[in-house]
Amino acid sequence: MIDRLPLPAQFDRLIIAGGTAVALVMTPILVVLLALMIGDEISAAELVFWLAFTVIVAGALGTVLLSNIVHAALALIATLLGVAAIYLLLATEFIALVQILVYGGGVVILIIFGLMMTNAQADPIVSDGSQKPFAAIVGLLLGSIFIAAAIDAEWGAQTTAVIPFRDFGARLFRDFIVPVIIVGVLLDIALSGALINARSSSDDDEAEPASEESEAAS
Amino acid sequence: MIPLENFLILSGILFATGLYGVLARRSAILILMSVELMLAAVSINFIAFAAYLDGEAFSGLVFALFVITVAAAEVGLALGIVLRLFRERRTSYVDAADSLKW
Repeated sequence: MIDRLPLPAQFDRLIIAGGTAVALVMTPILVVLLALMIGDEISAAELVFWLAFTVIVAGALGTVLLSNIVHAALALIATLLGVAAIYLLLATEFIALVQILVYGGGVVILIIFGLMMTNAQADPIVSDGSQKPFAAIVGLLLGSIFIAAAIDAEWGAQTTAVIPFRDFGARLFRDFIVPVIIVGVLLDIALSGALINARSSSDDDEAEPASEESEAAS
Repeated sequence: MIPLENFLILSGILFATGLYGVLARRSAILILMSVELMLAAVSINFIAFAAYLDGEAFSGLVFALFVITVAAAEVGLALGIVLRLFRERRTSYVDAADSLKW
């Protein structure tokens, strides 16, 4: 079955190598977490949290460190799906589904199309800038400040509120109608801007602006 | 019950990683992907605060929804610009777009 699929050999090797690496890294983590859960050290929710934590951090590091641009895009997908798992853990199913639909289905596909229409297909290896060490220092500093602040602060009374979902749309369109309209206008402007920007310059020469406007009006 | 700090630490790590990517990468599309990481970190913060500290737990959700929408719009627009840059300069590295630098 496998050898009848018209896959290039390189693609096979990529899947096998990537899958092996992921399995080698994730299996010990999963075993340790399962042992902790069976020993009643952590709850099932914490097991899911730490699994998602591992996936998110590994995927984020892959996104910023891998030199092959397509592999970085795949790592980004893993990160965004892990973020969706975190949303599910916080009992916000709607946001998790929107995250999967918009990011997994829209944004990442758009990014991969962007990769394929630029030079990624011929030359997927990118080089980074010379400011790498400074970027690492800034990232480490800011990250440690965030972590220290989160641990140090007093967050008051914590209630795990279950998000009311039955009336989500009603409340969104009643209490937040002005932001919804503004976001609609923003999407419209972004769409027009993307269209105008991405149009090739040869189209600009051929198309008459006046005729375009009359077509749009009719 | 998972403490709130865990989510904040996760989001801090994610944001710092995205910031490193924005500063260190040269390819415009990879910078865009790093910005997506930072936006996801902010959304995690919003939703964690909404679920743990807000009794009504609504405003944070709406903000996360708007962040996702704006990110989608931003990606569409930015990829249009990247395609245009690639057509003009035959590269997608941001340091090729230095016409306004003097």
